[in-house]
Amino acid sequence: MIIMGKQKLNILPVPTYNWLGVNYAERDISEYETAAEVISAAENEEKTCLFWVDDNAASEVSIQASENSYVKLVQVFDVKGQAVSKVSAELADNGRFELVQLYLGGDVVSEIDVKLDGRKSKFDASIGYKLGDSDKLDLNLIADHKGRKTESVIAVKGVLDGDAVKTFKGTIDFKNGAVGAKGAEQEEVLLLSEQAVNKTVPLILCAEEDVEGSHGASIGRVDEKHIFYMQSRGIPEEKITELMAQSKIAQVVNKIDNEQTVKRILGRLGRGDDNE
Amino acid sequence: MKEKTQVADIDRSLYDFRYEENEGDFLDSGITPEIIKAISDEKNDPDWMREFRLKSLEIYSRTKMVNWGPSIEGLDVDNIVTYIRQKNRMNTDWNNVPDDIKETFEKLGIPQAERESLAGVGAQYDSELVYHNVRREVAESGVIYTDLESAIHDPKYAEIIKSHFMKLVPPTDHKFAALHGAVWSGGSFVYVPKNVHLDIPLQSYFRLNAKGAGQFEHTLIILEEGAYLHFIEGCSAPKYYEAGLHAGCVELYVGKGATLRYSTIENWSKNMYNLNTKRALVQENGRIEWVSGSFGSHVSYLYPMSILNGRGARAEFTGITFAGEGQNLDTGAKIIHNAPETSSYMNTKSISKSGGISTFRSAVVVKENAVGSKSAVNCESLMLDRISRSDTVPVMDIRTKHCDVGHEAKIGRISDEAVFYLTSRGLSEEEAKAMIVRGFADNVSKELPLEYAVEMNNLIGLEMKGSIG
Amino acid sequence: MPYNTFIKAAAGSERKIKMSELLKIENLTVSTEDKELLHGVSLSVGKVETHVVMGHNGAGKSTLGCTIMGSPEYTVTGGKIYFDGEDITSLSADKRAKAGIFLSFQNPIEIPGITLSEFLRNALEQVTGKRMKLWDFKKKLAAAMELLEMDKSYADRDLNVGFSGGEKKKAEILQLLILAPKLAILDETDSGLDVDAVKTVSKGIEEYRKATDGTILIITHNSKLLEGLKLDKTHVLADGRIVREGDGTLAFDILENGFEKYITEGNI
Repeated sequence: MIIMGKQKLNILPVPTYNWLGVNYAERDISEYETAAEVISAAENEEKTCLFWVDDNAASEVSIQASENSYVKLVQVFDVKGQAVSKVSAELADNGRFELVQLYLGGDVVSEIDVKLDGRKSKFDASIGYKLGDSDKLDLNLIADHKGRKTESVIAVKGVLDGDAVKTFKGTIDFKNGAVGAKGAEQEEVLLLSEQAVNKTVPLILCAEEDVEGSHGASIGRVDEKHIFYMQSRGIPEEKITELMAQSKIAQVVNKIDNEQTVKRILGRLGRGDDNE
Repeated sequence: MKEKTQVADIDRSLYDFRYEENEGDFLDSGITPEIIKAISDEKNDPDWMREFRLKSLEIYSRTKMVNWGPSIEGLDVDNIVTYIRQKNRMNTDWNNVPDDIKETFEKLGIPQAERESLAGVGAQYDSELVYHNVRREVAESGVIYTDLESAIHDPKYAEIIKSHFMKLVPPTDHKFAALHGAVWSGGSFVYVPKNVHLDIPLQSYFRLNAKGAGQFEHTLIILEEGAYLHFIEGCSAPKYYEAGLHAGCVELYVGKGATLRYSTIENWSKNMYNLNTKRALVQENGRIEWVSGSFGSHVSYLYPMSILNGRGARAEFTGITFAGEGQNLDTGAKIIHNAPETSSYMNTKSISKSGGISTFRSAVVVKENAVGSKSAVNCESLMLDRISRSDTVPVMDIRTKHCDVGHEAKIGRISDEAVFYLTSRGLSEEEAKAMIVRGFADNVSKELPLEYAVEMNNLIGLEMKGSIG
Repeated sequence: MPYNTFIKAAAGSERKIKMSELLKIENLTVSTEDKELLHGVSLSVGKVETHVVMGHNGAGKSTLGCTIMGSPEYTVTGGKIYFDGEDITSLSADKRAKAGIFLSFQNPIEIPGITLSEFLRNALEQVTGKRMKLWDFKKKLAAAMELLEMDKSYADRDLNVGFSGGEKKKAEILQLLILAPKLAILDETDSGLDVDAVKTVSKGIEEYRKATDGTILIITHNSKLLEGLKLDKTHVLADGRIVREGDGTLAFDILENGFEKYITEGNI
């Protein structure tokens, strides 16, 4: 599993112009501490797992969701150095996989590969990131629809500050046979600094007629209309940007049911108790 | 013409990427410097052009093919070489033209004389009367519209051509740009002086003396400050070339406050490899409007690129790609925001049918200096059956916080309700689907002059029936 | 703000703004990128008064409301706006809010990621300069929501996200009650509301007026909201111009008999 030297990770399912630099990411993970987890939900079983991922981790999580089962995986990447992560999932008929990920910094290469093999299986992803100076994130998500009437909903929201560099590659792949499948992906990126670099690569691959696929991305500043509305209630522009940045992360944090974890996250974000 | 090379303004780093296109294969083509020299001799090239061709050949031989996109394995390079060796003479006999091509001409109602020309047989079709009227109007306005080869020899234009030719698409850009640089032949030169607005669209169809084959033709259009031009390239009738390769190049220079509308309907015959490069450089408050309908060819690589190089420059791209049986069409657009307050808008549709593969590939790059820029991309794909493919591969690379970039893509099928509604009003299912698809393609048809829109709709009708050659 | 305030307008000319005038609009021309929408509109609203601006769809009513609030969509190409003696024509919207102007939007926008409660608490802090204790704020919010017969759960829902048209309007009035501005501009507040909702919204407006001695400018083309309000003045807007002004009875005449009479008369 661990190969020495630099490897190509996060390979884009359909490569594009090389000059854009998004076809793959390179990383030497030989120095990392690996951790492999297998989360298996039996038929009709429900499982929720939460991981706090640290520096120098090469984390690999494999999810097996049997028929009618439900697996929720929450990962918080509290990294200052480097980390690599891979989440793979295989969903059987009516299997459901909910993924919540929060990236709070560091230099992270992360891949998510979900195989919606079973009929009516579902994948729900809520991913948030708040990156600042020297942070890097290369995220490669693939929702592979094989089964009939499968469904994926992917929401990625984040804030880039300082000279952060972020590449998000999100692929919805409708294989032939995924009749009646639906895939929807949305990314929202708020850019707070002059130096931040954002790359967004939303792919839709399709080999089946009866599908509904959509993806949307909105990148840049806060929408003018939102600014006006909030200003009309007295909130000045700088504060608006701050509120909207917080709200992007909040939307992902809201999906984490664990109070302790939420507190820890808010602490990391410098938002203490609101009850003064 | 006092033109200073505008290309000096372009950030050279934009072109550095060409050196990274090096992960594919070489193609040993057997095109030798002797062949190039012979071409140059025949055309009586000025020295600089002759050197340029030879340099391009050298670049061609050391450049690899890209490692992404449809395979061009089937490209018969020997055939091309033979063709080039024959100095672009068209030796096709009407009898050799494939039957399905002939049938399409019939169905599209093309007159016999035109058919021969389109099939590469005999002399270029010259619609005498209409053409001469067009020529007069154009000349009166001060617009120069001539064939590029003669223009190079004309002292009036030689300098301006030399300072612009393949500066926007250099031979180093990619392998087939290099090939083009070496063997290019024929094509148009259009120059629109300051503040001149040409109301009638210029059509590449009617050209002075069409020397050489259309497949390596070079189009160079320069619009001075405040000018306006609508240029239409191609037509819906299928163009057939035995050699099977179209490696054309289009370079558009849009001056300050000028507007250029560049419309294309491409319907290359189904044996063709269409490896075309189109690029526009837009200055302050200038505007480029691309309208593009891609219907034919076996394999296409087509991504018109717009470089927004001056404050307030704008690019609009409206396109439709229809990939039918045996086709692998890789099309899209690239937009580089390289100045403040620039804006871009892309609206593309693609249709896949009968096993065709359509790939939408795009790049929107907003550089650090593109403060206050906006970009909106909207792409929609329609799958007409279960045996075809449609891939959407867009990339946004954003480097300033002061911008608004939005992107939306959708894929789906023809709705049953829509078909039911139309059939309940008496249309056959086939007619209903064709109508829906024509409606789907209206983003492009409404931007074209009426005759072209009608032709495009007829073409869609034929494609839907599956009866195109 | 001091009551005896005389303002000198720019470029050497002197104008007296009556101390009781809260809002004064002088010869306002407003345009968007494509065209001019308001052609020299003048009107003034006195303190504690209730005015109504009426006109057909497209007359420019919303443009007027949004321009007073400072919307970036519209550009003032001529004229001035004075609020409480101050020239606010070039102030940004948040500064106008702090000065005491509130606009209840015709189509309130949805802002996911921030709850109604969180948003209002922040807005209140900006407008008053003080951050209210969470507990106190929640009490205040609950009381206002009860008055407006809004379910408590709305407080923790994302701002306007998924709210029906009527609920959005109520949420706007809720904001009005919490922020207690000097001037409330209500843009088509009753459109889309059923009979009961209109009653509740009226209650809210009445409550606002009682609690703050607020000044109200209602923008509408047909309003059930007006019944039961004491109207001080009616302004009729047509094609971007004020074509007629009158007291409260004018508004009711229009509600009964329509605009035609006034529009043709005024357009000489």
